Amino acid sequence: MSSDASARKDPSGLAGQPGGLTAWGRLVAWGPYRALADFTTASPRRQFVILAAFPILWVLTQHLGPMLQMLRVSLTDAYPVAQGVEQSFTLDNYLRFFGDRIFWMPFFRTLAFAGVFTFCTLILTYPVAYFLARHVSRRNQMLMLLLLLVPFWVGEIVRTYAIMILLGNTGAVNLVLKWLGLIDRPIPFMYTSFSMGVGIVYLTALYMLLPLYSALEKLPKSYNEAAADLGAGAWTRFRRVTLPLTLEGISSGCTLVFLISTGFYATPVLLGGPSTTVFAETIAGFFHVAGDEWPTGAAFATIMFLAALLITGVFQRVMRGLRKGDTG
Amino acid sequence: MIRGNRIFLSCAYWAFVLYVFVPLILMVMMGFKDSKFIGFPIRSWTLDWYSGVFADAEVLSTFGYSIAIAVLSTIASVVVGTWIAVLLERSRFKGWGVMFGLTVLPALVPGIISAIAFRIYARYLGIEPGMGAIIWAHAVHNVPFVVLVVMARLSTLPKSQIEAARDLGADPLVAFLRITLPYLVPAILGASIFCLLLSFDDFVRSFFLGGYDPTLPVLIFAKLKSGMSPEINAIATVALVLTAAIGIWAERFTRRANKDTN
Repeated sequence: MSSDASARKDPSGLAGQPGGLTAWGRLVAWGPYRALADFTTASPRRQFVILAAFPILWVLTQHLGPMLQMLRVSLTDAYPVAQGVEQSFTLDNYLRFFGDRIFWMPFFRTLAFAGVFTFCTLILTYPVAYFLARHVSRRNQMLMLLLLLVPFWVGEIVRTYAIMILLGNTGAVNLVLKWLGLIDRPIPFMYTSFSMGVGIVYLTALYMLLPLYSALEKLPKSYNEAAADLGAGAWTRFRRVTLPLTLEGISSGCTLVFLISTGFYATPVLLGGPSTTVFAETIAGFFHVAGDEWPTGAAFATIMFLAALLITGVFQRVMRGLRKGDTG
Repeated sequence: MIRGNRIFLSCAYWAFVLYVFVPLILMVMMGFKDSKFIGFPIRSWTLDWYSGVFADAEVLSTFGYSIAIAVLSTIASVVVGTWIAVLLERSRFKGWGVMFGLTVLPALVPGIISAIAFRIYARYLGIEPGMGAIIWAHAVHNVPFVVLVVMARLSTLPKSQIEAARDLGADPLVAFLRITLPYLVPAILGASIFCLLLSFDDFVRSFFLGGYDPTLPVLIFAKLKSGMSPEINAIATVALVLTAAIGIWAERFTRRANKDTN
């Protein structure tokens, strides 16, 4: 720290003069450092190995490791292993999912909800992104985007709670509807798929908005003007020019939002009810009740992850096909 | 026609602004309600819930606990993330794509699955549930965000500056410390703030990896499950003000820093 500060006072010394006036110069001239530097930079190959060793080790053990360990546990009959008991390989945890219909409902509900909520988010945020990218001056664009970012810094739980207050029986929406004389008795929004949808869209909207905004912002205005000169109406211009050229943004936004939506745990617990149990709650159950259910939980989490990856993979392929079809 | 479009789009924007702000504003208002009962209308107002929060040792220590976790996990994420970013941006090697894919993996795994995987791996590594486990999980989960932000900044650093330093006799480490690192400061600061917020706000990983002490989101969740109360609103509002203030300050700071160096 102190050597850094003293070096900053002396702007002239980059590598240090002979005689070592600057801290940097002293460091470079210092015997052990010299030896270390000479050793590490002896060849480009060695230099690369030293730069790359830690990152490669990190991603293998920390990023890939947890996923592989989850997969391994999902294929065993007991985890954590009790003393003196042999752990053996089994597919039972997977068969348990396919064998019991009780698990299918939350599973397919999660995927269907995630799909529907992703679509809702897209419909909701596309006009917003379009407005920001197309109809707002450069200076105001950043400010108006920032205005939308602020609420998204607030955490998942706090925002879920905010939705509970909005939609509760004595919540703001019911109060306004009553004031307007539209209802006598409060509408029970809470603990339904509706309240869950409002909450999840609220949490994920930003992940859709930003890719859409950057795709729309990159699109030159002249394309639309050219189409207009050629006689295309507003709807045709949107359908034939803007939409095809922002498919990439739509594709990445939807993929991100879909993956995030399948992973929510607290929001469905707080906003949903017994009729909206999602697979995350099923998975979590295996980790709360008893330790020996861990392998089943791991297998269910693996099934969920593979299904989500498969769906987003197919979706991206379809979108890529659409893109090629339109430009070719 | 165009005018009509414009009006429709501007309505869509402002409606969206309402959608993202109104729930939070209502949530904040409810924390000032002079009644235990959550619901509208609010007839009388009080600051009691706030004085209660600031007098509650458990809540205050939870704030401290969450902040400590956020700071420590952020330091780890930033160091590792910057290192990986330098590797990915500076060299094209065989398997670069695989390395990049593995780097962003933790950010793409859905929340519950990521939490479960960390929980299992923590046990495998012998990390007890608690502060260390949460810090570790947050650190790993946040690395991809640091990598992406730092890589973006690094790609705009002129190679000639490094070459000039090397020509003048700086070895790679000195060139990194004196040229690259100062240039990366705005990106690193921006990424740090983002990590701080991600960690401070995270629920699912903290919930599955936590010991007996709750982090702030876990505490709010537990209180919510046993019933709504304006006390929760007061706690949530303090958290909201904290995160929003940090976010706004960081936004302004990184923008100014970017302007200065460009």
